[in-house]
Amino acid sequence: MFDLIFSTDFFFAVLRITAPILFATLGAVVGEKAGVSNIGLEGTMMISALFGSLVSYWTGSWMMGVLVAVGLGILTSLAMGFFAFILKTDIILTGIAVNMIGSGGTLFLVKVITNMTEGKALASTTSLITTANQIPSWNIPVIKDIPVLGDILSGHCVLTYVAFLMVFLTWVLLYKTPMGLNIRSVGENPDAASSVGVSVLKVKYIAIGFSGAMAGLGGAFMSMYYSMGWSLDMVAGRGFIALAAQAMGAGEPVGGMISALIFGFAQALSIKVSSKGIDSNLVTPIPYLVTILGLVAFALVVRRRIKKQHSAEALKAEEK
Amino acid sequence: MAEEYAIQMKGITKVYPNGIAANQDVDLLVKKGEIHALMGENGAGKSTLVKMLFGMEQPTSGEIWVNGKKLNLSSPTVAIANGIGMVHQHFMLVPSLTVAENIVLGMVPRKSGLFIDKKKAVEITEEYSKKFNLPVDPNAKVMDIPVGMKQKVEILKALVRGAKILILDEPTAVLTTQETSELFKELMHLKKQGYTIIFISHKLNEIMQITDRMTILRGGRSMGVYNTCDVSPEKISRLMVGRDVVLTVQKDKAQPGEEVLRVRDLEFVNEWGKKMLDKVSFSVRRGEILGVAGVESNGQKELVDMLFNLNTPNAGTATVNGENILGLSQRQIREKGISLVPEDRMLYGIAGKASIQENLISDRCGEKRLNKGPLFNMKAIREESDRLIEEYTVLCKSQDQRVDNLSGGNIQKVVVAREFSNTPSLIIADQPTRGIDVGAEEFIRKKLVELSRSGVAVLLVSADLNEVMELSDSLIVMYGGKITAYFEDTSQLNDEIMGEYMLGLKHQPEEEVRRVCHE
Amino acid sequence: MNKKRKFIFSIVRGLTAIFIALLVAALLIFISAEGPGFADKLSQTGNAMSKLLIGPIFKSNGSFSVKNFTDVLAAMIPIIFTGMATCVMFSANQFNLGAEGGIMLGAFVTAVVAIYVPLPPVALPIVAIILGALSVALVMLIPAALKAKLGVSEMVNSLMLNYVIMYFIKYMLSSHLADTSKGAIMTYDFQAHSALPQLINNGSKLSWGFVAAIIFVVIITLFMYRTRWGYAIRMIGINKDFAMYSGMKVAGVIIMSQVLGGFLAGMGGGIEMLGRYTNFTWTELPGYGWTGITVAILAGNNPAFVPLAAFFMSYLNKGCSLMSTYCGVPSQLIDILQAVIFVFFAADQFLSGYRQKLVIKSTQEELKLQSEREAQQKADAEVN
Repeated sequence: MFDLIFSTDFFFAVLRITAPILFATLGAVVGEKAGVSNIGLEGTMMISALFGSLVSYWTGSWMMGVLVAVGLGILTSLAMGFFAFILKTDIILTGIAVNMIGSGGTLFLVKVITNMTEGKALASTTSLITTANQIPSWNIPVIKDIPVLGDILSGHCVLTYVAFLMVFLTWVLLYKTPMGLNIRSVGENPDAASSVGVSVLKVKYIAIGFSGAMAGLGGAFMSMYYSMGWSLDMVAGRGFIALAAQAMGAGEPVGGMISALIFGFAQALSIKVSSKGIDSNLVTPIPYLVTILGLVAFALVVRRRIKKQHSAEALKAEEK
Repeated sequence: MAEEYAIQMKGITKVYPNGIAANQDVDLLVKKGEIHALMGENGAGKSTLVKMLFGMEQPTSGEIWVNGKKLNLSSPTVAIANGIGMVHQHFMLVPSLTVAENIVLGMVPRKSGLFIDKKKAVEITEEYSKKFNLPVDPNAKVMDIPVGMKQKVEILKALVRGAKILILDEPTAVLTTQETSELFKELMHLKKQGYTIIFISHKLNEIMQITDRMTILRGGRSMGVYNTCDVSPEKISRLMVGRDVVLTVQKDKAQPGEEVLRVRDLEFVNEWGKKMLDKVSFSVRRGEILGVAGVESNGQKELVDMLFNLNTPNAGTATVNGENILGLSQRQIREKGISLVPEDRMLYGIAGKASIQENLISDRCGEKRLNKGPLFNMKAIREESDRLIEEYTVLCKSQDQRVDNLSGGNIQKVVVAREFSNTPSLIIADQPTRGIDVGAEEFIRKKLVELSRSGVAVLLVSADLNEVMELSDSLIVMYGGKITAYFEDTSQLNDEIMGEYMLGLKHQPEEEVRRVCHE
Repeated sequence: MNKKRKFIFSIVRGLTAIFIALLVAALLIFISAEGPGFADKLSQTGNAMSKLLIGPIFKSNGSFSVKNFTDVLAAMIPIIFTGMATCVMFSANQFNLGAEGGIMLGAFVTAVVAIYVPLPPVALPIVAIILGALSVALVMLIPAALKAKLGVSEMVNSLMLNYVIMYFIKYMLSSHLADTSKGAIMTYDFQAHSALPQLINNGSKLSWGFVAAIIFVVIITLFMYRTRWGYAIRMIGINKDFAMYSGMKVAGVIIMSQVLGGFLAGMGGGIEMLGRYTNFTWTELPGYGWTGITVAILAGNNPAFVPLAAFFMSYLNKGCSLMSTYCGVPSQLIDILQAVIFVFFAADQFLSGYRQKLVIKSTQEELKLQSEREAQQKADAEVN
């Protein structure tokens, strides 16, 4: 049983499943660093997934699809930003509104659009995405020939590699660039940032725009590779799981990646187990439960650290 | 002809969205190269006026001219571009970044066009630090440096950005006497180099010492411009408050009874591993006011936090009437008869969006007399609120008014009305009159004395030297987390002696300090 | 600003938000309308909009439609409950979004009791609904306690629980409770005497559940504004630190608000089940939880206004489904409408320029009055 589950294709699946969550997690990380809680990631992914798949089908170019998905992700989140920053709607409520549009709203849109373009109202775009216009995979030269490792690491969708590359780039953005300095200062003390002429508004727009772009990539990955087409509620909470991954990763890109991998692992496991004949309804919720457990575990660790700080040992350490 | 004025604000009126008119037809004319004082009580509209000058707020009507040019200061960026710099009362620094990073924030030097040039940032910091004689440590994180240095960082931040006009909003409020005189030297140095300085304060002696001219505000209106050398302190005081301030609160000699609060060997290490409380021991008895003096962040805040369980000590004991209070919930602490006037009234003292009534009953909403079965007894609640509003002279339209629409003084009266009226045996008053008008200040001080004379034990923590010396029967000084002095009789004290202890130049031997335990 | 001006402002603001949403709707319909010319599209849009706006109450000949109206009222029942649940939780500043899963679980548990537990008439529906409500209250203990004790985000946890609940019910339904004699996945029929009696027997399914909903609106309003517990919930929502400092049991109240929210959502599910259906068929989250959030926002988190907001949402929903039936506009338009109204309603600064004008007007009037009074006093003093 153990061998059956933990095969190379299992770990391949872990990376594949992690990628969209990782995109959204990085979006959440940068948003939170600037003090913007983007809970609309879920809905943004849905919107991007829909239009990514449609454009890819229309143009026959997956790149156009990805581009439009990212563009729409940015636009959606900038609109969220407008309501949250300018009209002062609570950012959480703005996110809920985006999620509403991402759920039923996208179904409305897909029906209306396909009715115009295809002559009949489709409730999903799964028939439109084929191997011809999906996001291609990439076999890494040299690595693909290494046994075990090659099977796990090579042959992924290009966006999977982009996702893991983005971890590094996000870290560079946050800690090595002036914009990163601005983002962190806006999140920590917006008054300080604005008092030296850093436009808090601009930085927040950039941060939420970045998170929208990430959600866009995640959405494109979902509809143009992972599920081969858009369907109602296909993102299935990945945007929310990303929020949890952000928190568990202590708000850092690398930490977020590790958390996202844990969820990817949990979901790969549940898929594997259900393929062994167990009712899928019983194992599908495993990633959601893991999210709850993960948040609890993280909170317990933080709590222990705080407790330790108030202990007599802390006092002794200070005296030394 | 060279323009004589650096700043001309003409006919400025500002109405906030909540309907409060903070400034009405105010003029502020500042000459080039002078140190100009902006004076007034809290709530007189000083901060609002300079916020408009720095582009943080926009005037409802009126004009602003800088160096002879009419400007629309739509944001701090515009103000900075026009050579205006501001040092805020609450420091505008990012704690987790270094001094150098804070200084270059918003104008970060780059290398290869894309990345932060940290070396250059440090160089810039050192260059300006030397040039203006404002020593700072560029690589230290801001959260680790003392208040005085934070202020230097703030001034450097403005200078690095090319400010020729500096606005300092109550810069001395958080400084020791020594740091203040250091600051004044630095300011005179800047003045000599041609810088224009707007200096906000309500401390008369400082104004007389350092400024050339002053504009006095009262109730949002200008009371005129004066040459500092031409006006007497008495006149300024009259212009500021419109009456002669009675400074002394009358009080009889204390008749201390039995011990109420007993604190022994309290120790606390903060989250960065710094020891904030070091073997703190003292007692407060019935009918006396024990003052805790000291420059801010010498452990006073931490002491109060421990006593009200807003933080957990690492060691030590604290009892009230013989019973332990450490680690109890706030409800249990209140049940032991402890009241707290919190330092940060907006954070702990009130629920801003709730009504005055709702703020007055927060500690007693479960009491039988205010409830009828499961429901509130609204009649009793309304009566209780009206009674408190009247007794504590809270100025409001009705008890249903939102509490955050009141002035600072009236908000504090709401807090005090609640905390003083629940028959406490111990009142902890933490900075009870900070930032409120003279009328409310006097009222609250009188109430405190009145309560202590009726047998309540009072622990008064205050950074306001006048207040703590005037109200306290006896007094301890905190420095670096330790109690460094105990004065049994405050009437024998003067500022000079206090200053030496507060700045840590002197401390009493341990046996002498130990007398505050009354053992 | 005085009360009258405040009132006028909130009315203007609400109407503007609704107007913008309808404009968005009209635009979407116009774009999607079939037809060669501009005029065709316009008339189609007009048709659809009239269905949306007056369809829920009037027949196409212009006479009052009782059936449509009772449909609207009946559809209010579940969203009154989820709306109230959200009001209570949001008032405590708890962004628990579990009303969605809550109403599904409440419906499911009630259904199971209504099928299998042998109880006499009257007792059966009451016990079934209460058990449904209690089960959700119990589940909400999880995000509530984790938030109160460990500070874990109740929002993420409640969202995760929605999925867990949905899959749990799907599993129970397909593996254990399905009536295999039927074509679709559904349970056996409820015992006949579990059904809630109808107020009107016209097929609208306007049951006594509606009356129960209104009664609960009164109870919850009293609870929130006239009891110490509701007071504590609201104070914690405004300023948690203040509440703690004042001696309130913050953790306990945070838990209470979410457990009560869960109870209400669960009760809504149970009542909806027994008032409308004869067996349990839900295999997806029903969406009432999200509508409940919109309702709570429209009601300003005040339970007293929940029925009004629920009526409005229910009306729009009915309008959208009529539009879908008669004009071929997909009914999911409601989600977009809802989102637009929602963000504008919750927007603090929406029309702030207009508000500022009103405020300035009020202040100027007050200042004028004050100076007149002062002048009067001066004159009086001089006379004396």
